[in-house]
Amino acid sequence: MPCDELPDGLKTLWKEAGMHGQVFLPGQLRMEAEKLRASLRRTYLIVSVGYSTAVATYAFIIFNLHYLHNTLMLLGSGLAMLAFGYLVIESLAKRARALPDLGETDGLRFYRSELERKRDWHRGLPWRLQMVLVPLILVGLGAAQMLAEISTFFALVILSWAAFVLVVIGIWGPVKHRRVARKYQDRINALDSAVRTAKIGS
Amino acid sequence: MNRTESQDELYQNVAQEYGEALARMVYAYEADAELRRDLSQEIHLALWRSLAKFNGRCSLRTWVYRVAHNVATSHVVRQAKGRSVGTFLTLEEAEAQAGIEDVEDSADRAQALGRLFTLIQQLDPLDRQVIMAYLEGLDAESIAEITGLTAANVWSKIHRVKNVLVRRFHRGDRNAL
Repeated sequence: MPCDELPDGLKTLWKEAGMHGQVFLPGQLRMEAEKLRASLRRTYLIVSVGYSTAVATYAFIIFNLHYLHNTLMLLGSGLAMLAFGYLVIESLAKRARALPDLGETDGLRFYRSELERKRDWHRGLPWRLQMVLVPLILVGLGAAQMLAEISTFFALVILSWAAFVLVVIGIWGPVKHRRVARKYQDRINALDSAVRTAKIGS
Repeated sequence: MNRTESQDELYQNVAQEYGEALARMVYAYEADAELRRDLSQEIHLALWRSLAKFNGRCSLRTWVYRVAHNVATSHVVRQAKGRSVGTFLTLEEAEAQAGIEDVEDSADRAQALGRLFTLIQQLDPLDRQVIMAYLEGLDAESIAEITGLTAANVWSKIHRVKNVLVRRFHRGDRNAL
């Protein structure tokens, strides 16, 4: 078959693929929709319970620190609570954002917005990691200071943990996520440039 | 007829009319059988939900394809998880690679079809939309309406799609097609 005709041959082949179209019963789909809603409710519940537990833990720590008088741990746990609270509220607010209407949004806009969403998440993560890192390091240093009075070995263990956290959350995490964000940005740029080139050419 | 009944009826008509095309689309978006089942259900669920909002501002076909492609695009981006998002091929890249690929001779239509699906699965989601709509027999204007590209842009992509298909299939599928 001559090359020029091949795409049409492929069209026939494509249509002959022998796929059986699925038809779901509306009742089935309603059940699935309800399952999705239930899973969302479960997530909210888990987040709320998690946050309440964290607040209770914080109250416990504050109560104990009142007697221990360790400023670093007090400051670290206070900042950790603030950071954690902020991240929880931010994540709940993001979940509630309006999704683009699937039927109203064309493929190009939707694809671009998906790439932007992923890029922004990876771009924002290093900053979020820093928010968690500072309090963790403060708590670690405070704990090491406290333990040094009892055992140098345990103080060193806590300090090595703090160093490990610093490397993973402070260096490796941000580098990795910035690299991924750059990949998404490159994809967005390629998309924009392809559309621009075609507009100029037309 | 109330709103829920008309939504259900519209969905059933759409699923009857576009079911096969949607199944082909799912196959071309996802290679893994289990994920394919999930994606298919996700598309049908989104379609059913969205039909409640269908306002007739575009044709039903455009609406159906937009919903299906958008759900599938979201699935592809989610599955890529950043690591492989950079490895999607644009049509231009696929065109450039087509010349160096050593395609085995094959008289098997199923193999040719398998290669076609594999090729599509490697492409950037927007190019997949163009290539699939083209293979479904849609004209450039309809593809432009679904994808949001200009008709000229679609023409240029279709031209590239043809080049890629010709280069990749003219040796292997000489006897098959």
